[in-house]
Amino acid sequence: MRDRFEDLTLAGPGLLLIALAFLLPLFEMFRLSIVGPGGGFTAEHFVRFLTDPYYLGVVWRTISLSLLITAICAIVGFPLAYVMSRVGPRLRLWLIVLIILPLMTSVVVRTFGWMVLLGRGGLVPFTLWKMGFVGRNFTLMHTEAAIVIGMVQVLLPFTTLSILGVVMKIDRRLEEASRTMGASFLATLRTVVLPLAMPGIVAGSLLAFTLSVSSFITPSLLGGVRLPVVAGSIYDAATKTLEWNFAAAQSVILLVGVLVVLVPYMKLSGRRNG
Amino acid sequence: MVKNIPAGLRIFTWAFVALVLIFVLAPLIVVAGVSVSESQFIAFPPTGFSLRWFAAIFESDSYVRALLTSLKLAVLVTVGATVVGAGAAIAIHRGRLPGMGLLAGLFLSPLILPSIIFAIGLLMLWSATVGPVSFWALWIGHMVIALPYVIRTTLAVLSESDPFLEEAARTMGAARWQRIVYVVLPQCAPGLAAGAFFAFNISFDEAVVALFLRTPDLVTLPIQIYNQLEFSPDPVVAAVSTLMMGMTVLLIAIIDRFLGIQRFVGT
Repeated sequence: MRDRFEDLTLAGPGLLLIALAFLLPLFEMFRLSIVGPGGGFTAEHFVRFLTDPYYLGVVWRTISLSLLITAICAIVGFPLAYVMSRVGPRLRLWLIVLIILPLMTSVVVRTFGWMVLLGRGGLVPFTLWKMGFVGRNFTLMHTEAAIVIGMVQVLLPFTTLSILGVVMKIDRRLEEASRTMGASFLATLRTVVLPLAMPGIVAGSLLAFTLSVSSFITPSLLGGVRLPVVAGSIYDAATKTLEWNFAAAQSVILLVGVLVVLVPYMKLSGRRNG
Repeated sequence: MVKNIPAGLRIFTWAFVALVLIFVLAPLIVVAGVSVSESQFIAFPPTGFSLRWFAAIFESDSYVRALLTSLKLAVLVTVGATVVGAGAAIAIHRGRLPGMGLLAGLFLSPLILPSIIFAIGLLMLWSATVGPVSFWALWIGHMVIALPYVIRTTLAVLSESDPFLEEAARTMGAARWQRIVYVVLPQCAPGLAAGAFFAFNISFDEAVVALFLRTPDLVTLPIQIYNQLEFSPDPVVAAVSTLMMGMTVLLIAIIDRFLGIQRFVGT
């Protein structure tokens, strides 16, 4: 009993913090989402969001862009993680550092970099123009392409590291066996490594998708006001139009959507660790 | 090098890796380039070389105030998250409390649950119970986000520690607090140190919670940058951003010394 009391004392401050500053805010969000203007229960905030074609368009944009971003991250992340896992330890350390550096840099700073690169006269449109791919100097800012480029850069390190953790644990003798049996390198990659790396790819993709649907700093700065996403709509309702109940309802919808994706993620990553 | 990749494919492999690295590093390089440009317009590639935009940061009241707010916040979050995280990690590692597996998941959930959802809840709860948001609301918000990192790095170190050391201390007659202070905490030290630097980095760079909880007097450096980007970017923003990146590089180097960056990645 005294052991338990000791551990409870140790974990106590943390439990208090999580309960008061994490669970209670989530509870408050639920409460506000179903409270009407005059008090009492109402579903009007949910109905308003789910029946307005404008907001349904916002949801559709968020989901379709996130699917595209997630797919690109997985397709680029898998070969990158494979190469990282099969190089020498020194080079791997350097590659990991180069991947972690952007991951740990503020999202605002990275988005700023893309604003410079994609804006009118920026390096990317300018190069495309000079190389003759486009007829005139133009801007990529405030396009869906800009959101995708910016978000892939933000999420690719996540996906890559998540896949790397799994690929590193694949027994290399399986690859050697496949090669000895006459399979080519690409065939081995496809039939041996890829299936074994799948848990990492799926876990990384699920995480990338949840982060993508809920991000708003990069989409709002690169996409502008004409291309709102769900998280941006929540932010506007909470801080610009001050419709807190409506913002709370949208947050609940986002949370439910995220949890639907996160539950399989936790099963996958839990099995990997346990 | 990568021996199992056929010679014909190797060149494509390296071209692919180089392109991806350029892609993920491009925004960082561009921001650093703009910050040292002489031109008073945002220009990349930079024209000339000048450090005057860095000097301009310290001549601007709003940047200096944001910098001081961010530093104060990050230091207090680091101290708080490290102390609270150490206790939680030790309790999770011992696993003697009922339902500790579930609690461990709860502690780590801010890592995967998008911060916008929790940020808006915190804003609403704080306004409903305490009043207008303040520095301490932001501190608590950042603590929740930083805590899982401290717990994770500490657990990684504890999982490799020798469980019999504490048993030996007990047999030798050490009291409970002595076992924690002299036996368990020293074993946690590298993980706690790495976690502390993570906490600092996260608090210093975090933008979502800080954006929801901002007031005219409560602006952190990332939010000051965000405001400037919405309004009109100038080379001073690039200089501040470069300063923040420099801080990140330094922190990664320190974390690597204490824990090894590869171990954090989990490979």
